Amino acid sequence: MKQRTGNGVIISKAQRVYGSVVYWITITSAIICVIGPTLALANIERSILNPHYLFAAIWRGEDVNTVWQEAAGGFPGGHFYLEHFFAGDGFTQFGIALGSSAALWGLLAASWAFIKERSYGYALVCLFVSAIIIFSALGVVEVK
Amino acid sequence: MYSFYKYLKPPWLEISLLILLFLISYTALGLISLGMETPPGGMPAVNIFILLLGFFLFSFMIATIAVISGIGGGVLFTPVMLAFTPIDSLIIRATGLVVAMFSGLISTGPHMKRGIGNLRMSILFAVAYGTGAFSGAQGSIFVWRYLGEEGEAAIRIALGIIIALVAAYFIFGGQKLEWPKIETVDRFTRWLNLSQSYYEPSLDRVLEYKVTRAGYALAAIFFVGIISGFFGLGAGWAIVPVQNLVMGVPLKVAAANSTILIGMGDCIAVWPYLLAGALIPLFVAPWVVGLVLGGRLGAFLLYRVKAEFVRLLLIAILFFTSISLVIRGLEILEIIRELPGYVSILIFAAILLFVMRSYFKSSCRG
Repeated sequence: MKQRTGNGVIISKAQRVYGSVVYWITITSAIICVIGPTLALANIERSILNPHYLFAAIWRGEDVNTVWQEAAGGFPGGHFYLEHFFAGDGFTQFGIALGSSAALWGLLAASWAFIKERSYGYALVCLFVSAIIIFSALGVVEVK
Repeated sequence: MYSFYKYLKPPWLEISLLILLFLISYTALGLISLGMETPPGGMPAVNIFILLLGFFLFSFMIATIAVISGIGGGVLFTPVMLAFTPIDSLIIRATGLVVAMFSGLISTGPHMKRGIGNLRMSILFAVAYGTGAFSGAQGSIFVWRYLGEEGEAAIRIALGIIIALVAAYFIFGGQKLEWPKIETVDRFTRWLNLSQSYYEPSLDRVLEYKVTRAGYALAAIFFVGIISGFFGLGAGWAIVPVQNLVMGVPLKVAAANSTILIGMGDCIAVWPYLLAGALIPLFVAPWVVGLVLGGRLGAFLLYRVKAEFVRLLLIAILFFTSISLVIRGLEILEIIRELPGYVSILIFAAILLFVMRSYFKSSCRG
């Protein structure tokens, strides 16, 4: 299943699918990251992090634990955005996490397209890389 | 009338929407910050607004350069932030990874759609690079334990010299590296079915390219992964030369594949930082927005710039990486004193100026 572009270039469906999925997820993530900080600053009471203390601590060169301690009373856990989706900073963190998983969704879609193209080997490679991303997001793969 | 409708279709639609939202959101942010009271010990909201705006502008510039040259933006972001801000190095490294990842991700779509990127090559490289990087990270613990700081310094200096030699080869290799001619394709590479075509606007024709020696390239990228994991370096500086010199991938395609691979690979590497709290949402967000808009501009420019410009930019980055590695090695061995961070920026600016001068000179001749 290959498609010719306007310039006469032939591109496989898996390639187009991967490109589109990654692109639109990245755009969505960027849109969330545009709106998020404004929501956080507009409604500090609902936010996890107090931006005044957060940026003061970051700019003083404090380490990660101290920054979270001063701005939020401690780190609430990596996937805190799931519980605080409607807070400005929770929503922003969701946008960052969504962008960080863009390749996963693209690879899953591409593997399906590869199966349809009967390129089973490439479908398997896509699934292998997807599995590594999932393990990484779950905290199974840890790079020190 | 037609020109107006053009802006209601992708890619203009989403770019216009993003710019519009950015203008509305940051105007609101500016106005909110003017009326806010600062709690004792906190940073005034106006200062926060200025920081966020500055981060956006800087990330826009980084992403444009990164996508054209096929590197992750981290190679520019990290030294600048370490040199000019007091921010904790873990926060800078984590955000640097996001910078590299988003500059890769946003250019992936256009590269794939136009055929300048090659998905099959990119996912094979991702497997080789990922396993190499994991082994390298384990290896760094081994070296640190048995060879100590001197061993790490010696490896850094050796690597710096190798990169300088690759850069020299790119200088003297000339145009044959921009569009390499492949006479024979080995059986393994043919079996992988990696060849593709792409439209080259500077020549106004579709270029069918063949590649070869995929096995050697995968081994080389595994080795690059080891080095990357070992030193905690980005890999864009090496992925482009390996594809070009070993497989004969045209330089622009190599740069595009490299950014696709960086986007894919960093989706694995970024999660441990996020889970450790090193990615702080309000600090990272303005970088993401600047990267997406700058990366889109970079992808747009990559189709239009001459391949020679990509080659010269890559030479500049290779020399910069090489000099940085040698300096760091000499610092660890205490042969030279630790240099202030701005020296890195001055070196990069000097190399970039030299390359730009060379490009404009050759353009005038051409």
